[in-house]
Formats: sequence, structure tokens, C-alpha cells
Amino acid sequence: MSPRVAVVGAGMSRFVRRAQETGKELSWIATREALASCELKLDDVDAVCLTSAPDAFDGVHRKGDYLADGAGAWAKPYMRTYVGGGSGVFTAIQGWYTVASGLADVVVCVAEEKMSSCQPHPQGAFLTIFDNILERPLGPNLLWIFALEMQRYMQAYGLDKRDIAQVAVKNKRNAAEHPAALLGQADITVEDVLGSETLAWPVQRLDVSPISDGAVAIVMASEDAAKRLTDRPVWIQGVGWNLDTTYWTNRDLAYPEYVENAARMAYGMAGVNEPRKEIQVAEPYDPFDYKELHHLEGLLLFDRGKAPEAAADGVTARDGDLPCCPSGGLLGVGNPIAAAGLMKIAELFWQLRGEAGARQVPGTPERGVAQAWGDLMQVGTVVVMGNGGGPLATATQSPPFAPRATSLSDQEFRSATGAVEQRLDTRYEWDPGEAIGAVLDGLREQRILATTCISCGRTLVPARKFCERCFRPTDGWTEVPHTGTVETFSICHVTWDMRPLDEPQIPAVIRLDGTSEGGFLHLVGEVAPDDVRAGMQVEAVWKPAGERVGSILDIEYFRPLEPELRRELVAVAAVELPVEIAP
Amino acid sequence: MEAMALRVGVAGIGWSGFSRTTEGTSYKELMFEAARSAYADAGVDPRSDIDSFVCCSEDIEEGTSIFDEYVPDQLGAVQRPVQTVASDGLFGVATAVMLIRSGVASAVAVESHSKASDVVSLGRVDRFAMDPVLNRPLGVSPTALAGLEMRRWLHVTGRSESECADVAARNRAHAATNRRASYADVHDPTPLFDPLTREQTAEPADGCVVLVLTTEERTPEGSVFIDGVGWSQDAPSVESRDWDRAAAAERAARAAYDRAGVEPGDVELAEVDDTFAYKQLQHLEALGLSDLAEDRVNPSGGALGEGHLREANGLARALACIEGLRSGDARVGLAQSWRGVPSTSAAVAVMRR
Repeated sequence: MSPRVAVVGAGMSRFVRRAQETGKELSWIATREALASCELKLDDVDAVCLTSAPDAFDGVHRKGDYLADGAGAWAKPYMRTYVGGGSGVFTAIQGWYTVASGLADVVVCVAEEKMSSCQPHPQGAFLTIFDNILERPLGPNLLWIFALEMQRYMQAYGLDKRDIAQVAVKNKRNAAEHPAALLGQADITVEDVLGSETLAWPVQRLDVSPISDGAVAIVMASEDAAKRLTDRPVWIQGVGWNLDTTYWTNRDLAYPEYVENAARMAYGMAGVNEPRKEIQVAEPYDPFDYKELHHLEGLLLFDRGKAPEAAADGVTARDGDLPCCPSGGLLGVGNPIAAAGLMKIAELFWQLRGEAGARQVPGTPERGVAQAWGDLMQVGTVVVMGNGGGPLATATQSPPFAPRATSLSDQEFRSATGAVEQRLDTRYEWDPGEAIGAVLDGLREQRILATTCISCGRTLVPARKFCERCFRPTDGWTEVPHTGTVETFSICHVTWDMRPLDEPQIPAVIRLDGTSEGGFLHLVGEVAPDDVRAGMQVEAVWKPAGERVGSILDIEYFRPLEPELRRELVAVAAVELPVEIAP
Repeated sequence: MEAMALRVGVAGIGWSGFSRTTEGTSYKELMFEAARSAYADAGVDPRSDIDSFVCCSEDIEEGTSIFDEYVPDQLGAVQRPVQTVASDGLFGVATAVMLIRSGVASAVAVESHSKASDVVSLGRVDRFAMDPVLNRPLGVSPTALAGLEMRRWLHVTGRSESECADVAARNRAHAATNRRASYADVHDPTPLFDPLTREQTAEPADGCVVLVLTTEERTPEGSVFIDGVGWSQDAPSVESRDWDRAAAAERAARAAYDRAGVEPGDVELAEVDDTFAYKQLQHLEALGLSDLAEDRVNPSGGALGEGHLREANGLARALACIEGLRSGDARVGLAQSWRGVPSTSAAVAVMRR
């Protein structure tokens, strides 16, 4: 059994759209608040754990090193861990094992995100999350994959947008009581969400938590130190994390198995056998409204496809049977990525001490779960926390108290003295390797090649040299048909930097015939947007032989197999987004 | 600081590449090869026997945001606990030690690689690690910081440029018998950032190292154990760091020695960072190992001989140290890394067989 580790303090900056403060300064604000909350000085801290999402936001390579002094880490053992959007919750796991290993007694965990530095739009940092050879040439952006997953989730369980939008309403209303919140709105309605601009159907503007700046810090301590520091430690009872395959187009996006795996690991460690009875408050990850529902199911708190119904019945409201995101979540408090994840841990800390004030959930909660998610819809990080049934405080004020960070308007930001403009002017020439090299040669010859694994019997698209499930070399090559099925799709109305598109783009995950689950990302064309359906049969449209160069773009797009569905793409009304409200 | 009563052993080692380029092989294939040989060495099946996977990498080095997306398949880590440590590979070793000691894992795979040949503009990657507001606009190469530091170090310690040249010559001579070395034959005193010369500067190479670390119960008899780890850093800002000594390596070493319950005098084999020749001498001072016999320091030839493996440098040093201990050449060994300009981060692992 692992040694006991507790959270004993928490602090955060205000979450703002564009902070005047640098990333270091935001980290300093959060770290100082966290230490002050448990009356500790930096000298009392043995080690510092840091997290932050893509380096491209801050425009600094090795940004862990760069942020060290702001996080209070000078001359201390200090390390940055990173699992994409899952990072914020993961840094509490990092803090846990740093203390539980016996190598430190008191640690500070800091999560920083300064997204606004990345121009012309922070989404630019996500253009390079896609496969360098097979996906990036298609020009995918982050909205595409969320839209593809949301569509698949809705289609799998027969949900409509109203089922989803209620989550955004609940969380933005909850956040009205959070002093650090960017997006709290007590009077928002489902109609507001359903009436907001369509970005990439089914994703609308108010389904999304926009880019933000901010930092959060917590203090963690060994059992002895925790008992010395506070009467009301909140114990880390279980931790779990799990990463699924890179080949996201090969999995069913309707259900996050990796979140379930992470949850089972954390529940197992916490001795939680019946999460629905033993968890009293949850902070699931909610960068998009459907994600909260998706994750509540992955956390085994609701049956698959049933979280929307529970939300409609008020179960997940702050005064419901299982309050979810009482903080207001990412949709309400804001989404400085890594910081937003650790904010959830801070919220459980306050809730389980009875200190959440106006946000306090009713009754005497003993145990909560926080979860974050990220990468190519691929990673789950889960922490179970509990107060051991200890007495709760009765706070009248809501923490964090007077959180700082100075918000700049777009105009103030652009006219600030000394703004430094730099470009990440790096160049890469990736070796495609044996497997993808052969796939590219095949595309030039108008062939779609796959590899096979005789151990699990799968035909692998995209082809690889090794089977990731059996962890052995693949056995041979085969050619698969140029036809397939649309697994999920989106109708995109804006570009990655939120400029309107005259003609919508229709990205889709295509499952190729002759494979059990193999497929890839591509575009659908020669079709009216309204006619595209999940399950639609499509065929590849190839470039002429002389124009094929050995690229995923040798396939121009996929079109409906049924000739009567084929037509010229119709222009749609452009979606205009003012810079101050664009996600 | 508490000595490390719960011991962590090295059950398996594996590597691939270690050449100037690895043309025709993707980074995934490079990782697959190293992982397969580490698992074979440890006699484990990663799909059932490894509890946690730690990869040490940086996004901009890879040209991919959120690089951990692209690691699980080739490590046998699909639907398993995987994390990135955004640092040098020895920080990953320290992480594995913590994971095992905390009880959350009994076997951990640690991976780091360099596919430097994929990066056309390595210098610009390093430059992007400099302070964006105060340093980058000056347009000075980050490697110039090594020239500045070497000059200061020569001034403060009274040591000579020829001693540094001797280190480079000695390491490259050591490398002549190392099958992982690609730069044994570089003899070029051209100044790059005077007093730093080309032959005193490690040049990029591709390679991947995977280690399998396990609890004492799961470690085969006679294996090497990681008995102490330490890691630290100095001020990130160039203007306020300690220019006279390798302060972070000193702190990291102190912590690692204390945890291992050994003193510098016990160390019989050291694989230390020599990405610049003067750094080897400076690091030996920081580690308290200046008196260690010359043939006991970087007998592999170090990074000057094997090449600069970016974030995999620390694992390359650890690998050579483990091999040395396995061969019976020494009983207590030490591996040390530094993340390179403009970083101050350093890590140390003390090992016993």
C-alpha cells in the first residue's frame, strides 16, 4: 500500500482572455497564493512539479526550464510532466508520486498556460498535433476532431444538440459564483447556446470553452507533514492515467475507453468498488459541453449514452445527487489548458474541506473525482480525493479570494509597449520510415496499402511495421478497396484561426472496406452538406497519374458511392466571429 | 534526506541508431527497435509486464505539438499509463524511481530518443529556448553561451584550453572501440565560439535508448541498481545564473549521493555530460570526481564520441554506465546529464552492482 499524501493548500490566478502578466508572473501569482493558503514559505518546499500544454503557446522551447523561477523552483528539484490536455490533473499525480516515493515531504504543483501569446490564433499550436505525413497535408484543425467525436457520440446514442447544450448552461451558471471565472453567466439559457454561431457542425460557439490565460498551484504533503500543517487535509486516495493508440481513426469515438481504464486504476487504488455510491462530487473535463457527458460515462458514473438524461433530470446540478463541475468547469471558469485541469483538483480540495462558500455542494461530501483528457482524443488522467469523513468548515466566502491577473482587450494587447513578434522558423524533413514510405509509394500508384497481423487477425490502415496490440512485427502487405463508410463527419464553417469559409469543408473519418476498423481522416466532396450522413458509402477520387506524388493528397477527396447524391458543393452563409468572442 | 531503502533495479537495456543519420527509418521504427531489445533483455512482455511508461521529449524538437500522442504504439504501451517528462532522459529515470517507490508501478520503461537528422534547423530550435524578450532579439547563437561559460570557467579555475582539448582527444580515443560511436575521428581545432572549438563540441546524432526499471523483487540477481537520483536547476535567466560553477549538477549529485549512501570517493566509473569538453571537467568538479582516473571517466567516449543525442544524452550516459557495471569493470558508477544550452537543468544517477 502506498504512503498517504494530502493536498494542504491551493491558489490560482484569475482566468482571463489575455493576461498582461507573463507566464512566469501567472505562475508566481498561483504559487504564492497556494503557499499563503497553508502558511508555508518557499523554503519549506522540497520539490516543484510543473505542467503546461504545448510549448508553441508560449513561443518558448523547453518552457519548463523557462518557467522555473516563476513556479518557485529556483535551485530545487524541479520537473515538467506533460500529457496534453490531461496535464493539469496529471501534475497532481506527479506531486503524489514525488511525495509517496519518499523523495520529498512537501511539494508545490504548478500548472501554467499563457495561450494568448500565440498569434494570429492560439489554435495554431494545434495544427502540428496531427500526423506529420498522413494528416497534416489535409489541413486539419482542433475543431475538426472535436466535431467528429461529438457527432459520433450524438449519433451513437441518438442525442440532439439540446441534450448537449444544457451542460454549457449548467457550468456557465455555476461559474457565476467563482471569483476567478472568465465565463460565468447566471442567466444563460439553452436557447443562447443553440443560437450561437456554428463553427464546425455540430460544434457551436457556446459549446466550446475559449482560449484563456491563467495558472493554478496546489501544495501536497506527506502524512506527517500534512497533519502538522492542517486540521483538514484532503487525501489523494487514488490516481490513474492511460494513453490510447495514436491511430485515433481506428477507434470508436463514441466512448472513451482510456478514461475508463484510468478511472479503474484510480478507483482500484482508492478501494472504490461502486463509484456511483462512493463518489459525491465530480469535476470531469469539459472543454466542450459534450465532453463532460462523455467523460462521466467513461468515469463509470453513468451508463453509456445515459449521462445526458441524468443531466436533464438535474442529477449533475450543484444541488443534485451527483454535482458535476460545481466550479463551473472549463466552460465557465475558463480554459487555460493545463491550469484548467489543476483548477479541478483545487475545487475538490475546497469542496471536500467545506470551504467552497456559495459553490459548496450540499451535504457532507467525503469523496470526489477529478479528470482531464487530451492528445488525439486519447489520454485520461484521474484523481480520487477524500477527506476521510473529517469535519467540514462552514465558509461564507468563496475561494479563491481576490484572484489576480490583469485582463487586456485585443486593442490594449496589440498596442502594449515592447510587444515582441517572433516566428518559430524551424524546418523538419521527417523520415516516413519503411511502413509509411511504402504507403506513399502505393498512393502514387493509386493503391491503398495495408499491413496485416496474423496474431490478432487485423488489417491495419494506416499501415504500420508493427502491431501495437500484439507488439510484434506485422506479417505482410495487402491492398484494400478504395471504397468505405463515413464513420463520422463535420461541416466546418471557419478556419483554424476563426476566419469564415465560403465553402464549408467536410472532414470525415472513413472506414475502408475490407478492414475491421481501419481508416483514416480525409475530406468528403461532390456532396451537399445536408446530405452527408454517418454510415454513408463513399469512394476515393484520385488525382490523375501524372499529378500523384506519393502523398495523402493523391486522393483528392471521397465522394458518395451513390451517383444521385453527388453534386457541386454549395456555398453557405459565412460565419463571422468578432475577435473578442471567437473561441 | 532519507536514504532510498526501497531499491530500484535495471532489468533491461536496449538501444537503436547511434549514428549520424538513420535514413529510411522513422522515429517510431527507431523506438520500436530499442524497446524490443530492452524488453528482450529484461525478459518481459510490455503488454502485460510493464506498469508504466515514461518518455522524455520536447515538442519543438520533434516538430509535433503534444508529442506523447505519437509514442504508445511502438513501445507496447497502448491503453497503459504513459507520460512525457519534458526533459533529459535521466529525469525520466528519476521519475521511474519515484513511480516504483510510490508503489504505483513495479516495472517502468523509460525511453528517450534523438532524431536530430529530421530537424533541418536544429540551431533555431535551440535559439527558441532563449528568453524571447531579452535574449533572442540579440541574434546570438545559444551555443555562444557555452563559449561565454567556458571563458568564465577558465578564468575562475585557472585551468587551460589545452586541458579541454585533451578531454576531447581522450574521449574520441575512448570512442574508437565503442560500436555506438560515430565521431571518434573528429580532429578540428577551428574555433566556433572562441575559446570553444569544433572538436570540443559534440555533434548531433540519431539514436534511441530504452531502460526497463523494476522493484528489487522483480530485478534479476546480479543486476545493476539505481541507488540514488538527484536533479536540480539554476536560474533560467542567463543574467542571474551562477557562471562560475555547475551549481545544479552539484545539488543533483549531493541528493543522489545521500540517497545512495555513497561518497564521491566510492565512485569507480563515471559517465558524465561532455557535450562541450570543458563541461566534462566542470561537471567532474561538481560531482566531486576530479581525482577519478582518466580511464574511468567516459570510457564510452561520451557525447563527443557518440554524438549529441539531444534529450537522450542522459540515457546514453546511463546505458554506458550500466554496461560498464554489468561487465564487472566497477562496482559503483555514476551517470550525469545536463540539458545543454541555454538550460541549467542537470540530473545524476548513482548505481551499484
